[in-house]
Amino acid sequence: MVPVESPITKKKAKQSTELDGPWTVVVFDDPVNLMEYVAKVFQKVFGYSRAKAEDLMMTVHKAGKALVWTGSRERAELYVQQLQQYQLQASLEKSK
Amino acid sequence: MPTLEGGLRIEIETPTDWLVLEQISDDALDGGEDRLPQRLGALMDEQSEWEEVVIPELKALFNGQITCVVEGVQRGQAEVELGEEAASGEVRIPKADAESWYGALNQARLALESRYKFGPTEEIESLDDFSEEKRSAFVRNQFYNALQGVLLDYVLE
Repeated sequence: MVPVESPITKKKAKQSTELDGPWTVVVFDDPVNLMEYVAKVFQKVFGYSRAKAEDLMMTVHKAGKALVWTGSRERAELYVQQLQQYQLQASLEKSK
Repeated sequence: MPTLEGGLRIEIETPTDWLVLEQISDDALDGGEDRLPQRLGALMDEQSEWEEVVIPELKALFNGQITCVVEGVQRGQAEVELGEEAASGEVRIPKADAESWYGALNQARLALESRYKFGPTEEIESLDDFSEEKRSAFVRNQFYNALQGVLLDYVLE
């Protein structure tokens, strides 16, 4: 006999695979947030050096977005939440 | 003006100054208190629990920032009403409130940008094409921007 696979289990397994890492935290440019503030937020949230934070901030400003951190989905969600608390436009992308 | 306690003091010189400070909360709440949290949440996919967990937290945080500003302005006004002219007085931003003030000012600027689409300031050559309403909003936006700059330079760590 072949066991019947529960559709729910199948769906959960698929979701789990989809959520497997690594994931990237992306910050988008906007015309409101001050550049100095964005760099300060990167230092606070990720503990980056001032030089790295300013470099990422300039990438956001010039390229329209920057990939600011890569790792597990759970941690990435936490970072996005923190960035949004500072009113930065941040999201997640699955790393390629 | 920076204070010795590490905060900021805004000196009121005209009755209009009070109106501009009162306008921060009105501008920040333009479009409703859900607008900014929902806009940020829309960047997330369905797998995340943004709608259920994060958006309500963002809403509470952002509302708290606005309340802090409203109460700070009201405290300043209450001191003036004890016997001085309406065209005088001061609003104090203690160091502990600086982040809330910065956040509320940012909410106001985000809402103004969303409504009026100013774009990058350096690309605006003249205000002549702006309607009176838009020009007034732009001037407020610039004042909020300047206040944020002072907070960043002298108060926020």
